[in-house]
Amino acid sequence: MMPPQTQKGDTQRLMFAFFAISGLDILNALESCNAQHRQDMIEWIYSLQIQPDDDEESWSRCGFMGSCTFKLQSKESREYQHSHIAMTYTALSSLIILGDDLSRVNRPAVIRGVRALQQPDGSFCAHLGGSENDMRFIFCAAVICYTLKDWSGMDMPLVEDFIKSSLSYEGAIAQGPGLEAHGGSTYCAIAALVLMGRLSIFSDEQLDRLRNWLLMRQVAGFQGRPNKPDDTCYSFWVGATLKLLDRYQFTDKKKNREFILSTQQNLTGGFSKWPDNTSDPLHTYFGLCGLSLMGEPGLKEIDCALNMSVDAAKRLEQIQTWDS
Amino acid sequence: MSETESSGDECVLKCKKPAFVLYRNREEWKDVVPIPQADVHNAVVAINYSEKFKDVYDYLRAVLAKQEKSERVLKLTEDALNLNPANYSVWQYRREILRCLKIDLRRELVFSAKMIHQHPKNYQVWYHRKAIVEMLGDPSAELELTKNDLEYDSKNYHAWQHRQWVVQTFGMFDGEMVLCDTMIEADIRNNSAWNHRFFVMSNTTGFTPQVVAAQVDYTLQQISKAIHNESAWNFLRGILCQTKDGISGNIKVNTFCENLIASNNISPQLLAFLVDINMALAKEDQQAREKVKELCMQLATDVDTIRHNYWNYLAQTV
Repeated sequence: MMPPQTQKGDTQRLMFAFFAISGLDILNALESCNAQHRQDMIEWIYSLQIQPDDDEESWSRCGFMGSCTFKLQSKESREYQHSHIAMTYTALSSLIILGDDLSRVNRPAVIRGVRALQQPDGSFCAHLGGSENDMRFIFCAAVICYTLKDWSGMDMPLVEDFIKSSLSYEGAIAQGPGLEAHGGSTYCAIAALVLMGRLSIFSDEQLDRLRNWLLMRQVAGFQGRPNKPDDTCYSFWVGATLKLLDRYQFTDKKKNREFILSTQQNLTGGFSKWPDNTSDPLHTYFGLCGLSLMGEPGLKEIDCALNMSVDAAKRLEQIQTWDS
Repeated sequence: MSETESSGDECVLKCKKPAFVLYRNREEWKDVVPIPQADVHNAVVAINYSEKFKDVYDYLRAVLAKQEKSERVLKLTEDALNLNPANYSVWQYRREILRCLKIDLRRELVFSAKMIHQHPKNYQVWYHRKAIVEMLGDPSAELELTKNDLEYDSKNYHAWQHRQWVVQTFGMFDGEMVLCDTMIEADIRNNSAWNHRFFVMSNTTGFTPQVVAAQVDYTLQQISKAIHNESAWNFLRGILCQTKDGISGNIKVNTFCENLIASNNISPQLLAFLVDINMALAKEDQQAREKVKELCMQLATDVDTIRHNYWNYLAQTV
């Protein structure tokens, strides 16, 4: 049971679950939850899936909700029960990590739900009720399509256009056109392109400039933008992007490791953004991921584009037996 | 997540507001039967909700289920959003109510400004703001709003994003370059302000030779004040790459860099910039290739040792 202070995360419980489940997997400690408990997690995740009904329009609401806050029976309230793309992504990934075979996922419905969120500029919104649209949700869409082996969930050329026009003068990628280059959005764009098999939209020169920008982000740990303090989660966002672009070997691992460990809390074991700060699930998870990228003993290797252990990514390959 | 709720008593003492009365104890809500959350057995990441949270959301579920859109529900959504401003469905419901009751949206701008002030890094509060401004078709309060927020956190991505949306959508670029000047003056290392500068140029003057020349002068002045400031160097690189001569073809810039070297005024950013200049020439120029190697060695062994592996690698591959 999480304390009342986490109420502000009420609609993102699935994401918290993902941080815990994938985090335990990377720690090679998923077995510390017994089989029944893991099954309970699987059932809970499936309970958040939205199925289409007789109404054609209902297909575009499909996917997963982050919580059951508004899981209601009444027909009138249906339009408030739609999937959230980040929750659909973390639901699928969590299911794979837990050993589920995705057989109860309504794949065509999930894909229709994703497609409904794409905007005319190529980006994605998070949900149908009205939300911001940016690079984060392109990543979510790409992981979902890759996982379900069905790219009809996105208009790929449109996505490519959006990513290209979000390349800033600094040489890295912003949340959208004209905005400031950022380590998080750069990860989202590059990981999505890798999953799409379309990294080639950038020239060698552009990729070299990007690699340079990414390497410059190391202070001791990594920062997300020039002249910002280093922050645990960028050890993953920037680090994983460098790995995808084959330049991670040029980072200073000793300094990075020291920084990440300096943000770990003695009492809870969790990691925080900065030293002497409050730890939280996101930074704890990405702190672990950052350590894993450096080959920290006892931690599983990570698939950088999918953001899950290589073990889990291999399991995904085994269960992807359906026709695309 | 770090904010904690104060109890009703504390609230009376601190903010002199009347204590919160649970909805289930309110006479005017007696007609509504609250609906508890329907989580499955053995749910994970369950939250130990406060009494107030449970009460507010139980009533919200009840009115949402029957789609009541009224003033009292509008007030209820306010309580729900104060408890969890990230609940995007509540914001959606709230917008439906505003539309349905034809509420004066200027009133909503006041509420929205308050929420942004309290939760400046929350995505939903900013999206709601954008939605209301679109509904109103009036962006006149937005420059002031974002300026105030940037005074509090000059690098808040949300505030910059909202501001860029406003000035681009409504063509309000007039004062933007002055804002950039002021913000860079206040903090020369504010990368967001430098980015905004580039954004404004792209959307207004473009990168004509005259404009670039003036901006090069400005940027070199700023670099002289802080030669380690990557933001200014990146901006310089950015505008030069918009010209036909590229990064290596600006005599003023080249001379400026040479002078810094000659006066032993060295920074990793300066040397990295010179690496880029010489890299651009390296294909046809043996001397430039040698220069790249020399600079990389200096960076690796002395000036930027944290990246020594990278600089050594570049030196080998040139």
